[in-house]
Parts: sequence; C-alpha cells; structure tokens
Amino acid sequence: MERTGAQIVMAGLKRHGVKTIFGYPGGVVLPLYDEMLNWPEVEHILVRHEQCGAHMADGYARATGEVGVCLATSGPGATNLVTGIATAMMDSVPIVCITGNVNSWAIGKDAFQETDIQGISLPITKHNYLVTDINDLPGVLVEAFYLANSGRKGPVLVDIPKDVFTAKTTNDFPEPEPREGYILPGMPVESELDEAARLLMAAERPIIIAGQGAIAAEATEELLALAEKLDCPVANTLLGTGAVPRSHDLSLGMAGMHGEAAPTMAIQAADLVVSLGSRFDDRLTGATKSFGEGAKMVHFDIDPSEHGKAVHTHCTVTGHLKPAIQSLLKKVDSKKHPEWRATVSGFQKDFPLVVPEGGFFTRHVISALQAANKGDAIISTDVGQHQMWSAQFYRPEEPRKFLSSGGLGTMGCGVPYAIGAKFGCPDQEVWAVCGDGGFQMTLQELAVMKEHNVGVKICLCNNSFLGMVRQWQELFFEKRYSSVAITSPDYAKLAEAYGIPYVRCETAEEVDAKIAEARAIDGPVLCEFVVEMEENVYPMVPAGGSNSDLIQDPDLKVKTSTGGQQ
Amino acid sequence: MSPTTRTRTITSLVQNESGTLNRLVSMFRRRGFSLNSLNAGDCERPGYSRVTFVIDADDGTLGQVLNQVERLIEVVEVEDITDETSVTRELVLVHLFGSDIELNRAGLECIAKGGKILTFEQGAATMELSGEPDEIEEFVANISPQLQRTVHRTGAIALHTNPWR
Repeated sequence: MERTGAQIVMAGLKRHGVKTIFGYPGGVVLPLYDEMLNWPEVEHILVRHEQCGAHMADGYARATGEVGVCLATSGPGATNLVTGIATAMMDSVPIVCITGNVNSWAIGKDAFQETDIQGISLPITKHNYLVTDINDLPGVLVEAFYLANSGRKGPVLVDIPKDVFTAKTTNDFPEPEPREGYILPGMPVESELDEAARLLMAAERPIIIAGQGAIAAEATEELLALAEKLDCPVANTLLGTGAVPRSHDLSLGMAGMHGEAAPTMAIQAADLVVSLGSRFDDRLTGATKSFGEGAKMVHFDIDPSEHGKAVHTHCTVTGHLKPAIQSLLKKVDSKKHPEWRATVSGFQKDFPLVVPEGGFFTRHVISALQAANKGDAIISTDVGQHQMWSAQFYRPEEPRKFLSSGGLGTMGCGVPYAIGAKFGCPDQEVWAVCGDGGFQMTLQELAVMKEHNVGVKICLCNNSFLGMVRQWQELFFEKRYSSVAITSPDYAKLAEAYGIPYVRCETAEEVDAKIAEARAIDGPVLCEFVVEMEENVYPMVPAGGSNSDLIQDPDLKVKTSTGGQQ
Repeated sequence: MSPTTRTRTITSLVQNESGTLNRLVSMFRRRGFSLNSLNAGDCERPGYSRVTFVIDADDGTLGQVLNQVERLIEVVEVEDITDETSVTRELVLVHLFGSDIELNRAGLECIAKGGKILTFEQGAATMELSGEPDEIEEFVANISPQLQRTVHRTGAIALHTNPWR
C-alpha cells in the first residue's frame, strides 16, 4: 500500500501505542498537521511553547515509563526544543522528537526557517536522523522508538523535510531489530556478580544507593528484596526518589549536597557502597576523592561508559539491573547488621529534618502536601530550593511519583512535567511544585491546562527571590545580592486571566486547609503560598566540598549520641 | 600528566550515515578528549568505514574514550591497537621551494625512506612518503630550514594484523 510520509508518521505513532503528542505547527509540518485530522486516536496537544512540548513528553515518559512524543516545525520550532531534549538526555528519559525541515532540495541554502537541528541536537540526543528519502522513513521511525526506550534510554530526534511528508512509498514498518553496533546490555557476566556478592557478604557496614536506573529498569522490587535480605540501608539519589518505599525502615532518603544528613553520613561511614543505577553525579558525591572514602565501591550500571567516569570503583557490573539483582539475590545469604543499623538510626535521630517555628516556610508547604496525600500523588518540581525541600519532605512509596530535572537542572520544567504526567496518568493526583522563578519561565502553559481541563494542582511557593542562588550569595558572596530579587505578577489576576481557580495561603496555620481546598477542586488550580523570603536549604555540602563536611541546619538543636555536630 | 599517558592508536568500524563522522568528532570535542589525528575511509564492507584515531591519553581516559566511542549507535567495533600486532601508516605530501642543492638532499632522503618524487623543476619539488608516523615526523623535521615548504600529513591509518585474534 502506498502511503505519504505524513501518513507513515501518524501510522508509526499509532503502531507504537502513542495516544498523546505535544506539539506546535508551522509551515513545513503543514502536511503532517493536515493528515493528523484523519487520526482521532492520536490526540495532539497544542502547547504554547515548543520547549514545554519536549518537557511534557518528558514528564509523560517519566510518569508512565512509555515513550513521550513531541513535535515541532523547522527553524525556531526545532531550536525551541533544545532545552527540553537536553533535559531528557541528562536524565536518560525516552522521548521521540519529530521536527519538520525545509524541502530536502533547499537544505543547506539558508531557506526560510531552516536550521540544522540534526547538527544542533547531536550532543544532546541518544541518536538522531535527517530523513531525506521517503523509503527510509518507516524503518527510521521504528528504530527511533526502539532506541529511545531500550538499553540506556534517551531522546531520539527525527528530522523530516517537508517534501518527505508528501512523498509516497510502499515500504512498510519493519520489525525492530538491534543493529550491528547497538548491543543491548543483558545479564552481567557471572564473575562480576560473584565479586559483588563476595564484597556484600564480607561487608559489615554496607549501604545501597538507589538511582534512577533502578526505576528505569523496573528493578525496584528486586532492589528492596536485596536490601531486606542483606539488612542494608538504602540511600537514594534525587531521581532515585521512590525507588524504595520512603516509609520503609531501610529507606534513608536522598544523599548528597542537599540530601538528608543520615544517608550522606552513612555513605561516609560505610565500608561498602553499592550503587544500583546511579551515575555518581557530583551533586551526590561532593568531592569524589573523599566520597565514601572508607568504603569499597560496587557500581551496577547498564552503560559501561559510566564505570570509572566519576569515582574509582572496586567492582563494576555492566548489564540490565533487573536480572542482575535477581541473580545477585541467589548468590547472597541473609545477613543482619544490628550495630550498623543502630549507627545509622543514630544519624537519623540526631540529625532530622527541621521545620522551624515562627513563620511560614516552604517546608511547611511540602510537609502539608505529604500529609495530605501520603506520598501517593505524582509531584513534579522545578529547580531550586523548593526542589530540594520536595526531595526531603515528600515521601513517595512508589517509583514514578517524583518527577524532577536532575542532571540538567532545568528551571521551568515543573508545570509542563505535571501536564505531561497528567495526560499519561489521568487517574492520579498530580501536583507541580514550583518557585516563583521557574513558574514564570513556563506559565504560558496554564492555557493548555485550561483548554484541556488538565487537573494539575500548581503549588507555587513564592518567596520573591531566586532562592537557591540567593542562598549561595548569602553564604559564599557575603550576602551581596545580585539579581536574585524577583517580582511577580498578581497571581490571582493571572489565574483569573487564564480562567483557572486560585487559592492563596499566607500562614502556616491555614496551609492544611488550603491544600484540602485545592484538592477538592476538580480541574486545574493555582495555589500560591506566600512563604518566608530568606529560608535556606540544609543540610548542605558546599560545591566541591567533601560530604564529610556537610553543614547541618542551624535550626537543629543537636542532642547527639554519636559525637556532636559534624 | 599521568605516568600512563602516551600516544594511542584506536581503530573502529562504523556504519556510514548522515552525520556519523560529525557525531564522532562532536563526542571527542564535547568530552574534552583531544585528537591528534582522525582518518576515515572506505573499507571492505559497502556502507561502512574504518576510522583510525590517534590520541594522547592515560589509562583512565583511554577507557573512557573507548566506551564513549562504542556507545555511539553507528559504531560496530572499536579497539585500542597500540600494543597489538598491527600496521600503522601515514602519508605526507610536501611541496618545497629553494636551492636545487637542498631540494636534491631532501629528494634523496625521501627516496631513501621509500618515498617518491612527484614533480621536480628549477627551485621546486613535490614529494610523497608513507611510513610509520615516527618516520614521517623524522623526514619532515629533517627538511632543511633553508627550504620553504607546504606540508600535508594525513594522520595515521592502522589495521590489526593478528590472524589468531
């Protein structure tokens, strides 16, 4: 059967189970948008900026585990995707980005709205294509989805010239098959697992670091089983939040620069650190030389290029995490570490998270959010202080409940992540936790929320500052505040202008009631929490500093059983 | 500089696609690996190229380079053959101007090393020489400073030659 390029794209989306795509039309994608009208089973969401299209596809993928799809026209449409693609790349999120380009014969001639998006996106995609021959299009689409969601996942971009959308071919979709140079990591080699098992059995103070890889590999049940069998506490990375149920007594929470004190201190005190799907990001490790300096390091990763990249490891295991842990479980015996567990409990008891009294703090807001939905709602965050407090105070019991830009640290992704997640998981409660800085970067997407009645609740913590940068200026630049005070529009009027209900909260006393009010509203809500202007995130490891030198919260009145404040 | 830093020769087999070479070079630049030379060309398989890289790297960087090259979708194989049974060759073209005495001297040196004189006229000559990169280095370095020159080196290409691997 002969089909046009536009028909092949739509058939390809349907074939891969895509029900929602996030896009923005333009000149060269006109044939595709025309064809779209014939495919009601694939819903197109008209975003208000292409960057948010990429973020929504990313949020959709993080929440569902399925490939997210975004669409943009050539030139500025394509370049607007760049931040969203780079965000997905840093966090290994499977998205497919389809861009139009100028007619194939006009490429390279500086045609109107021409840009070399293949060249631009080269270092920020897992793979990308410029399809100049219609006969290649079915195969490219199949491979794009296959590459995005296999192995170490990541964004794939397919650039299609306008004339390829209208050209015809009888070529059908091939079955996906790994090409010669693409080896899917499977079961790790036996000797690596044996060595990891030997180290685990010899360890007296082991700790597991759960990273996003555990969630991507759907290996979280196995991870918990391993931790329980070995009586081994589990720290998590920012993106590993939810990999183990946060209420589990082995779960210590996030380690690192703004992690909780206990997991960070436990890694420093451990004699064995086992990383399951983390790439030892610098926000986790601090100065790598002193990271877990008394411990042997075991690193499980699907991507061999992560081994030895950041920290020196004693044992590396390359492969898919799920079968790897399943096999490891058979190689280890049950163990108990009562003394070590008591030490770690001591850290938790002596250095808890603090919500100060006498004011209205972002920590009140996140704590109240946690109390209201018990970590069962999906929350997305922007980037900054509220993101760190969310990681500290929000306690999901399951994976895919905490969506955040970890690697790239992209402000403004909170709202579009939440919208994408809500389209993917319409039956779940979804909150976007934002600061007033990040929210103002992408607030035009309120229009999408209104238009499709997307029931995302926006938790806007307004402190009139770019809080994280302000904190660093306070601590490391003698409080010389430079461009960190930020004004906001009247959010009540803004919400009204977009036709969205607005809830305002100014005191800690009313926060529970206001969150309940927002939850009771069917559909989108903008909740503004007017919080203290100068609140700092603690604990804190200064950039480049050692995790052994973490600064505890000055509000913490220390009564120690483990030897005083570090 | 780490004590393990030395010049390494890496060969790879890649699938030819739009952007393949760009992707390879972009990765080296992005990750801060400096390339001494890169040479890509057709090979025994249609649709594939062999690419030889020469880099100065310590053991840790070498491992990273190999992993990062391998990670690219089009790369079928990649191998450090510095210490393997292999042949490495580089081609140089030189165009020289100056006195006939010095040109003669350079020409004799070139022929002695197995090279060719491509053109020779009053006061100017063109020569080619292929050989181990060290030999090329030596030949170019020994050209009389009294001769003006244009020099173009191709960078190394290399093949694994162990039949038993």
